[in-house]
Amino acid sequence: MRKASWTLRIVTLLSLVIILGPIAIVILVSFSPSDFFAFPPRGLSLRWFYEFFRISSMRGAYLLSLEVALAASVLATVLGTLAALFLARRRGAVVGLLNALFLSPLVFPTIIIGVALLLFYRRIGMPILPGLILAHVLIGTPYCIRSVLTSLQAFDVSLEEAGQSLGASPVRTFFLITLPSIRPGLLSGWLFAFIVSFGELNTALFLTGPGVTTLPIEIFAYLQFQGSQLVIAAASTLQICLVIILVVGMERLVGLSNVVRSR
Amino acid sequence: MERLLRFIRTRWAWALVLPPLLFFLAFFVGPLLYLFFVSLHDVSQAEMYGTRFTVENYVRIVGDPFYLFIIRRTLTAGLAVSGLSLLIGYPVALSMVRMSPSRRSLLLMALLFPLMVSNVIRAYGWIAILGRRGVINNVLGDVGLLQAPLPLMYSLETVVVGLLTILLPYMIICLVNALLTVDRNLEEAAQALGAGPGRTFLHVTLPLSTPGIASGLLLVFLLTLSAYVTVQLLGGAQSKMLVSLVYDSVMTFVWPRAAALAFVLLAISLAVTTMMLKGIRPQRVQGKG
Repeated sequence: MRKASWTLRIVTLLSLVIILGPIAIVILVSFSPSDFFAFPPRGLSLRWFYEFFRISSMRGAYLLSLEVALAASVLATVLGTLAALFLARRRGAVVGLLNALFLSPLVFPTIIIGVALLLFYRRIGMPILPGLILAHVLIGTPYCIRSVLTSLQAFDVSLEEAGQSLGASPVRTFFLITLPSIRPGLLSGWLFAFIVSFGELNTALFLTGPGVTTLPIEIFAYLQFQGSQLVIAAASTLQICLVIILVVGMERLVGLSNVVRSR
Repeated sequence: MERLLRFIRTRWAWALVLPPLLFFLAFFVGPLLYLFFVSLHDVSQAEMYGTRFTVENYVRIVGDPFYLFIIRRTLTAGLAVSGLSLLIGYPVALSMVRMSPSRRSLLLMALLFPLMVSNVIRAYGWIAILGRRGVINNVLGDVGLLQAPLPLMYSLETVVVGLLTILLPYMIICLVNALLTVDRNLEEAAQALGAGPGRTFLHVTLPLSTPGIASGLLLVFLLTLSAYVTVQLLGGAQSKMLVSLVYDSVMTFVWPRAAALAFVLLAISLAVTTMMLKGIRPQRVQGKG
């Protein structure tokens, strides 16, 4: 029995190494002073971060990623909350179908969504930026629905009824009673939608265009056409930094146990 | 008037769902139907698709040995990645459910964090490790073991290793969720009745965790199918998969073929999903013991 539990621990440790190792290497490489990758690194420097901010396409891609993620996650939270409020209150075959429809982007091959939206946008003449944002709304909404639904399951509906029977309108009841109690789910849903949009590849691959490129796509293009220059490592580290800041901020705000549970 | 009020009171919930529903119809269902419509037309030089209605695009994919070879390779990679992630993920999940809750949630965070980092960065991490100037070639070169850099990149194996590490957290999280619902008393009962740890695992723990196994396999397999960037960066031109063909057709503006390939990919996902959902059914879980 003891031997078995040691084997389990070693496998766990090795798994963490192969999962987190590549990310750690990228962060390490971004601080290297040499032109090319050297391991172990010979000293530390910030030159690739300067380089990153000097290249306007990289800087622009980072800012655009932030804008797209912000717009898409806010819209996804609004749509997701509306859908979750409905799904939590109604039962029946139609509701089951709607539930399946709303959650299907989670498992649907996103590359197909990308191609479908590309063709659709070409047909209706959709401009690039709103098209990209709406694609990210579609991918982010299921995360928001799930995490708001989790919050709603713990919510006592009789509180709402009490509010309404005391004369408050449904809208007032929502803002005074329902919204404060589903706040953790709302925030963690928003966080997930933001992070998913910020790192999204499969739809952005088709829906970005000249001058409108998100950071992951810019990194991908660099890796494919310019070889692995170390400025990519700096760009990656900046992306990872933002994720860490968001996660830590969210931990302070609602406690991460909420985020984990909503997965 | 009263009827109208009653209507609003009973039906107001439907007003809630209207905005998300319309959005999903316009930007999800509609575009998919349009994609299917395009896949049923001939290729045109001037337009997005020709005027002739045809199933030729599908017939060509199913009849072409090259496409079939790529489809087989895609399925092989999907099976390898999902199978290996189960093999490695199960012991990890087992040791996680035996931990104290605080350590478990710490580990869950360590698994959740990489999922938030863009896949292009995680693939780049593997390039930094396996590439010509990567960690392995650097270290082995410094020690003097190598005359020339080892070619570790651009093979199907590299793609499988990369995807395995990228998707493993999904598998572990699915398994942990399933194993946490397994009643520990059942395991103790089996052991009290004289079953060894191995038998208890095979006849109690493993069967009871089938739903988690099935959903983990399904998730990893489906995510493997659409992982274009990882396949392209780690596999190069020699290890193309079905997604690469979809991408190439889009980039060469052969829309009907791109659409048909996308639906072949979708058909494979649906077939696998159906198979897995059958595996999750409770009667299969209870088994014969």
